[in-house]
Amino acid sequence: MNSSANNRTEQMEIDASAKWPVLFFFGSALLWLLLGGVMQLAAAMQLHQPGFWSGCEWVTHGRLVPAAQNALVYGWGMNAAFAFGLWLMARLSATTLRHGGWLFIAVKFWNLGVALGVLGIMGGYSTSFELLEMPRFVSLILLAAYALIGVWAVTTFSIRNTENVYASQWYIFGAAFWFPWLYAIAQVMLFKAPVRGVLQPVVNAWYAHGLYNLWFVPLALAAAYYFLPKILGKPVANYYLASLAFWWLAITSAFAGGSRLIGAPVPVWIPTMGIVANMLVVVGVVIVALNLFGTLAGRLEAAKSSLTLRFILISIVSFVLAAVMNLALSMRGFAAVVQFTLLDGLRDWLTFYACFSTAMFGAAYFILPRLTGKEWRSVALVKVHFAATALGVLLMVAGLTYAGWHQGQLLNDAAVPFTDITKAMSFWFAYRTVVLALLLLGHVAFLLNFVWIACPVNSRGTAAATFRPPPDLGLARKEGHA
Amino acid sequence: MKNGLALFFGVLATLALSWAGLLLTAHRQIGALSQFKDPADDMLYPQPLSGVADQGRLVYQDLGCVTCHTQQVRQHGFGHDLAEGGRKWGERGSYARDYIRDRTVLIGQSRLGPDLRNVGTRLGDAKPEEYNEWFYKLLYAPQSVAAGTNMPPHPFLFEVHPVAGRQPSAHALALPAKFAPGPGLEVVPTPRAVALVTYLRSLKDTYDYPIERTRNLPAPKEGGH
Repeated sequence: MNSSANNRTEQMEIDASAKWPVLFFFGSALLWLLLGGVMQLAAAMQLHQPGFWSGCEWVTHGRLVPAAQNALVYGWGMNAAFAFGLWLMARLSATTLRHGGWLFIAVKFWNLGVALGVLGIMGGYSTSFELLEMPRFVSLILLAAYALIGVWAVTTFSIRNTENVYASQWYIFGAAFWFPWLYAIAQVMLFKAPVRGVLQPVVNAWYAHGLYNLWFVPLALAAAYYFLPKILGKPVANYYLASLAFWWLAITSAFAGGSRLIGAPVPVWIPTMGIVANMLVVVGVVIVALNLFGTLAGRLEAAKSSLTLRFILISIVSFVLAAVMNLALSMRGFAAVVQFTLLDGLRDWLTFYACFSTAMFGAAYFILPRLTGKEWRSVALVKVHFAATALGVLLMVAGLTYAGWHQGQLLNDAAVPFTDITKAMSFWFAYRTVVLALLLLGHVAFLLNFVWIACPVNSRGTAAATFRPPPDLGLARKEGHA
Repeated sequence: MKNGLALFFGVLATLALSWAGLLLTAHRQIGALSQFKDPADDMLYPQPLSGVADQGRLVYQDLGCVTCHTQQVRQHGFGHDLAEGGRKWGERGSYARDYIRDRTVLIGQSRLGPDLRNVGTRLGDAKPEEYNEWFYKLLYAPQSVAAGTNMPPHPFLFEVHPVAGRQPSAHALALPAKFAPGPGLEVVPTPRAVALVTYLRSLKDTYDYPIERTRNLPAPKEGGH
């Protein structure tokens, strides 16, 4: 996938060109991750401690939940995706990342937009449409900032010095266009020239599903397709199928949004089409699994010794799980029970956190030492982060699957008074708080390590350092050609 | 795949296709749903929201009630939302036509709290004042009317006045001592609370459209599915 000209010197040149923009994006992403995490934790606590922070309008549960979600999705998720996407696009296109100055302006505007949006939600300007809660004017700031960022991903791609275009590049290239289109269309159809009646939830479902599956999932897959062969030092298994998977997933998941409206007062063909699309998605997921798990086959031990691949492993397992969950929630019998429960919420959490965010963690552990020429300062903090993430994902999936099913059964049993459901669920609300706190602990560990590695005044090691794998974790290994 | 332009058009086509196939088609089908004129009483249904209720909708929106409450009653045969052996959240399932009166349609996707589509009929034939009082208490101190709920209190929708030296407000809430702010103080709803409660009381899809009833019947079972 690389011409012989792309040697190590060139890679370092590319890394040098991407260093500051990527550090800036990752830094802001991590701050949002922490802030959003704290807000999410507080909101989760309010469910079993309803008096907690209830006197203040700004942090009432109904506002805190969307504010936290927006901080996480647009603050952490998008910034991390920008950092990773731009770096990988430059690496795979064998060209330096140009016009970094514009990226600095863009990232500031993006963060300004997200901050105004989150404050707007807390201050009472929420639109209450899922993932589009930010006040209307913020969307213009975000779109303008995005234009300044996305254009460099595309430009970097179009001036590529390579002959072949690798799978990761398709996914990043596709996502770079899908997001602004999805976002702009949703803004126009919901706020600028609003559609009437239940078309609004249809547009909202289309956008929410698109954002998760045509933006976050492609970036996670780009990471998996890049790091697995790169670190294991072998080509992707059955690679000839990868392009089929790309198009298959793109077409089917673009249509799958309607499946979020099963049982809703919309024409029945809308959810039905979503259900069919979710069934078809499985084919694409199987191909991706053949590619990725095929590459892993027989090399699991080697994969485990790389921290990046451990995170990527969680990510691709969650990718498959998320598809299974989407499929399960498309089954009418199952949906009739678990719709509107904690299990319903787990679907997007699986995609956004367990699949996308873990991939970004893995990518960060690979990229940042190369950009800064330093090693991670504390192996203990790295271990805390990984352990917290792995355990947190496991506990969240197992716990909320059971809790959601139980909640759904109680909801469907009219003999159980509503307050008894709340009582029965309060253990699980507390459980979720604990798991979120565990994940937050991992994020704090990651942030501390990030500050150490990114801070320019830190004297340990300078550029062109050799990468010595610290004992048994293989944080950063000597890399050959891409 | 080496051709960037082909990739671009492919990417464009996938999204354009889903936009046209899903949103545009749906818009053509139900984008122009109109009110239904009942031949019996010459009234148009659904009836539009009153001005105050529409302001209440904005309060509902800005407080994020949709985080925990749905506004959609599922049809018979899917879940147990309806009267017979269900949660009695409505006399019938919701129709698309019910929502054309709402400027923003927040059907929600979480039922940490009950469905609110017909919450305006929650107390049956109670008087309007009883409804108001019940909703105000629910918002100010949820535990006072729904013991065991985890709904957060919304004290910021109310003003607490000292009674001393002036005539007590006619709108003050009659709270049990446990939830009252203290002796010599009264709790009065702000205009936002009034608007929100007016909106909540307006939530009742009691009119059954003859044209929708047949259209929304569950499909006949054909030997399993």
